[in-house]
Amino acid sequence: MSSSLIIIDKAPYGRENAMSGIYIAIASLDKGIKFDILLMGDGVYVALKNQSSDKAIHYPSVSELIYSIFPNGTLFVHLASLIERGIKYEDLIEIAELVDGKTLYNISKTKKHILKI
Amino acid sequence: MKMMDTSNKNLSNRKVLVIVLLDGPYISQYADIGYNMANTALKMGYDVKIFLYMDGVHLPRKKQDPSILPNISGNFEELIKKGCEIRACIRCAAARGYINESDYLKKVEITSVYDLAEWMNENSKVVLLGS
Repeated sequence: MSSSLIIIDKAPYGRENAMSGIYIAIASLDKGIKFDILLMGDGVYVALKNQSSDKAIHYPSVSELIYSIFPNGTLFVHLASLIERGIKYEDLIEIAELVDGKTLYNISKTKKHILKI
Repeated sequence: MKMMDTSNKNLSNRKVLVIVLLDGPYISQYADIGYNMANTALKMGYDVKIFLYMDGVHLPRKKQDPSILPNISGNFEELIKKGCEIRACIRCAAARGYINESDYLKKVEITSVYDLAEWMNENSKVVLLGS
């Protein structure tokens, strides 16, 4: 069975990309297609805990939405992007899995499709 | 009967190029790049499917008149005539006021992102263009 990955490298809320990327993953998983998400660059902000976008700007919380991929999909978070932004692992939602560059390379080799949104 | 089976087999094994477009017309060159890729792939015998996502749902709108720029809807019309399948995400389309296909070129369908999920299979290559 083919397995795919979507890379989200944009912060949530400033643009539609993060939410739309998550929807592609959810739809694929609903269809029984293995699909993972990788957050890198500003995309790592998607995995921050305690977001209150619904109250503050009337946008659905992407960190709540992203739970929908669990447990069949994996949420990878790029370690270097996290460190660059001063974010700690404990600041992230529970389903986040940290990956370094080498692990990321190995994950990408197993994917049929890799999209960057 | 035997010939028919062979033909069906060939059809199911055809390579498919899926292009996902995220940007609206003219704001970037991605729609033109997507058009050129689709056109070339069709000439090479690929099946080509275009999925319009986010602002990409503006692309097949009828009656565009960009004056000095290449007319995206004209280009899309040409692709449709050549057999390219074009679908737009219903969530993105509804958010932007396209409640049905009447504002769109003929044969452009409004469907869900589940169609994109189905298009991403073993026979396809997917290219996502947008900013």
